Amino acid sequence: MHEARSEVEFDALVVGGGIAGCEAALNIANNGYTVLLVEKDLSIGGKMILLSKVFPTLDCGACITTPKVSEIARHTRITILTGSEVGSISESDNHRFKAGIVKHPRYVVDEDCTGCQLCEEACPVNVSDQYQFHLVGRKAAYIPFSIASPRIAAIDMENCTLCGACEKVCPTKCIDFTQEEEHWTVSVKTVVIATGFELFDPLGMPRYGFGLYKNVITSMQMERQLAPTRPFHTVLRPGDGKMPDRIAYVLCTGSRDTSVGNPICSQICCMYSIKQAQLLMGALPMADVTIYYIDIRAFGKGFNEFYEQALGMGVNFVKGKIGKIIEKDNGNLLLRYEDVSTGKLHEAEHDLVVLSVGVLPNKSMQSVFQDLSLLEDTYHFIKQDDPILNPARTSIEGVFVAGTATGPMDIPDSILSAGTASAEAISHIIQSQ
Amino acid sequence: MSKKIGVYICSCGGNISDYVDVEKVKAAIETEENVAFSKTAMFACSDASQKEMEKDIQENNLDDVIVASCSPKLHLTTFRAVTVRAGLNKFSYYHANIREQVSWAHSDDKSGATENAIHVVKAAIAKMRHAKPLDPIIIRSKKAVAVIGAGVSGMRAAIGLAKMECEVYLIERNHFIGGHTAQWEELFPSEETGRDIITRLYQELLRYKNIKLYTGARIVENSGHIGNFILKVKIDPLFVHENPDISEVEKAIAVCPVTVPDAFNFNLTERKAIYRNHPGEFPERTVVDVQHCTRCGECIKVCKSIDFSKEETSLELQVGSILFATGFDPYTPGENEFGYGQIPNVITLPQFMRLIALNDKRLIVNGKDIKKIAYIYCVGSRQPDGDLKYCSRYCCTAAIHASIRARKKYQNISNFHFTRGVRTYGKQEVYYNESLRAGDVFLQSFDHELPVVYEKENRTFVKINDILTEQKELVLEADLVVLVTSMVPRTDQSTASLFKLPKGRDNFLKEVHMKLRPVETVIDGITIAGTCQGPMNITESVSSSLSAAVKAYSYVSKGEIELEPIVASINKNICTWCNACYEACPFDAINKVDEISKSYAVINNSICKGCGMCLPVCPYDAIELITYSNREIEEMIDMLSKD
Repeated sequence: MHEARSEVEFDALVVGGGIAGCEAALNIANNGYTVLLVEKDLSIGGKMILLSKVFPTLDCGACITTPKVSEIARHTRITILTGSEVGSISESDNHRFKAGIVKHPRYVVDEDCTGCQLCEEACPVNVSDQYQFHLVGRKAAYIPFSIASPRIAAIDMENCTLCGACEKVCPTKCIDFTQEEEHWTVSVKTVVIATGFELFDPLGMPRYGFGLYKNVITSMQMERQLAPTRPFHTVLRPGDGKMPDRIAYVLCTGSRDTSVGNPICSQICCMYSIKQAQLLMGALPMADVTIYYIDIRAFGKGFNEFYEQALGMGVNFVKGKIGKIIEKDNGNLLLRYEDVSTGKLHEAEHDLVVLSVGVLPNKSMQSVFQDLSLLEDTYHFIKQDDPILNPARTSIEGVFVAGTATGPMDIPDSILSAGTASAEAISHIIQSQ
Repeated sequence: MSKKIGVYICSCGGNISDYVDVEKVKAAIETEENVAFSKTAMFACSDASQKEMEKDIQENNLDDVIVASCSPKLHLTTFRAVTVRAGLNKFSYYHANIREQVSWAHSDDKSGATENAIHVVKAAIAKMRHAKPLDPIIIRSKKAVAVIGAGVSGMRAAIGLAKMECEVYLIERNHFIGGHTAQWEELFPSEETGRDIITRLYQELLRYKNIKLYTGARIVENSGHIGNFILKVKIDPLFVHENPDISEVEKAIAVCPVTVPDAFNFNLTERKAIYRNHPGEFPERTVVDVQHCTRCGECIKVCKSIDFSKEETSLELQVGSILFATGFDPYTPGENEFGYGQIPNVITLPQFMRLIALNDKRLIVNGKDIKKIAYIYCVGSRQPDGDLKYCSRYCCTAAIHASIRARKKYQNISNFHFTRGVRTYGKQEVYYNESLRAGDVFLQSFDHELPVVYEKENRTFVKINDILTEQKELVLEADLVVLVTSMVPRTDQSTASLFKLPKGRDNFLKEVHMKLRPVETVIDGITIAGTCQGPMNITESVSSSLSAAVKAYSYVSKGEIELEPIVASINKNICTWCNACYEACPFDAINKVDEISKSYAVINNSICKGCGMCLPVCPYDAIELITYSNREIEEMIDMLSKD
């Protein structure tokens, strides 16, 4: 293990490099303060950078994320640590916080890698690609995805066989199997938590057959199939590679459902499903798309108009929650539901089912604070101490929260929430001087 | 010496390349004169592409760069920054739009779109042959912000800015601050009352010496620009002294013969033409409603603190940035819309919320004890025709929350919700659950077949074809019908118009980009916050107001701002001051200079937006727009019109 680096000072620590963390970091840095941004993943950009087009304006997610990501990556007042985790935060003298950060080894020397991908070609190990939500494979020596930032390789040591093929082909000799964990200790005046959310894992709902039936996928898997950097360049069902023509969306998978322990609404699934339906009608003009819903929650600016647009395009909306999904021999699926408008039970056949999975809390900050108590709300999201007037405040003075770490939110709301957190963080820095 | 221009053609991950053959575009332009380098890119804006671009510029000694991609609104600054990092002047960059203006516009004609893109890129090359390096205009920025509107958003933004050590001028057109929030009782999710929220904010406001509050104040003139707006503010006189003898004031109110409906209670009650603030409104004072006061003089007889001789005052403020928080109007239903205005026990949700505040033990309307309440949702929202197509987002939860409070406060209340699908998004779902568990009845109508409210023998009925009970027609006799009304844009948009702020299709003030620049407007230095931008609840309004505050702060925190040097420039030797450009300028950026021998026009560079309105009206062609000179534009047109 490396020796702890000597204590480095920053004005602000931002935990999480998704869209909310990026926005907060930029706001703070653009007003003259130094920021350390810590991201556990290999790239910043969070979930948003992996999205296709975003509702309700249908501009591409990447087009909005990449300029922010690239502005941050080059900002003189922002230091980014990817593949790193905040292990501990405690109070220290002079109204400051002390944070312990672990940087996991990437086994690639960041500064020397050019992202040429020769190591990727040479690597003989194939594993499932988490950035494509397991639709396709990747190598054990890999660049996370084409628009990753930083766009440099990493070695997946869990799957690497240490064959050395990558080392041989690397033109800059930047692969280093001897890298170890680095430990940083930093001193900051304020902390912004922007750790985002987790997606509901539909394995927890066996009645929908996810993981068992090949043609039942999650909305994130569909999102990747529709994204510009999509793996297949078209939409295919995973079971047999057929282009689907009767696609079903099952809304509220893991939301508004006490049977899976999540009674609240995830706030984004109606809209992203409507968006995917619209994109599918463009990608597969002959396909029928049916959305099974409880209520359509098209509440934000331009959302209801977007929903009306989907209706106008011919997306089929059925009010009824899916009770059970059954697989047929040909890989098609039978969806059993009560059609609420007639009160009758029905069964409908589809050749691809998309589960619109909900938003769950990211609990990674639970054990980070020492001697300080970061409270959670009933649903294990970070508790807003004064939700109406100071929505970014947590139970700890000087620690603020941005984006979906406090609960489900869409992108515009996350960005506003990040603005709020950065306003509070800047005030806190100024007031503590 | 001949220029070396680099050209990039972006696929935009399919947004462009699905319709435009980018390789063909590259092949068509790479032989153009001055093109020294060309390349296609999947996402030119990605970090990796930007790095490559820097390297290409340096290795090929490029003088100018063109990226043919999306709208310049999205990535002009991104690529200018690339050229700067590569050691070029940022005006050596030109952004050719082949997405919004080509691929998206001609998605039905791939070969036509490709041809079109080739023309657009060639025109860009023709323009860049004449591009010259430019320096930005740097102006000083005053570390002061004007916040317009002192409802919850404006107050919270003012405090946010004050904490960041800005001078803040908080300008409210009414004599009291607190906005609509002051009118509400318990609110979700903290169950704090609106009154308490405004009281907390007001007390905090008083603690900051750098916040100056002006009430009864209207902005009547605006000049200047980002960094230095000059605002002329008119302030209505207060005819009652700030510290009067309260018992005398009470007598004055008692003798006033004029009664008018009290807007604070949405006309459920009346007040006099001289009146005091309601609890939750601040400052605590007595004011005269000049619109309705007849100047009969009765009040002066009993109260020494009233003085009608006071006059309107005015003052001038200089600020670096302006934050708009002018709020919304509650929708007023049309005559007989669901019986409103015709059937006496049909009221709006805001009226219902005041009714709960005013009635302590029993809920009584028109002398009748209320038991069965029908709530009709989406009144003034989600309309198939007209301006009100949008969802007002706050109302489902607000109605359910109010119905829960009515049930808890009064005995034997039954709630019947006539919805169009309940939209209690996020954690607000728990209120919906709570009300379902408590036995509230939810019904849902079809979008094209709304419920009907009618009166028969002095009894009120609501009829619905209910989706949720196999489309049966159900009729409910209701003691009270609450119309869950939407948020609509302010009828009085005079201040926003003064600043030429644009509105969206929904007539609310419009942001530049919902995700990239959600609180900025196209007028540099002016931000928008809260419900002047669209429906939101209070937490969301506060969130947007602090976002706007941090953005406003970034305009003023450094003491100076860089402005685009793309401005008009007048050749004084040709100009004869005919007045035409002065008349055409929408920003008042043109001034007259008188010399002994002649008069001519000059441009104020910090006000000029480079819009070009003055150019075509000049009879002598004395005006050029920097970076868009006649020569550049003519050569672009030649290129675009070539076969």
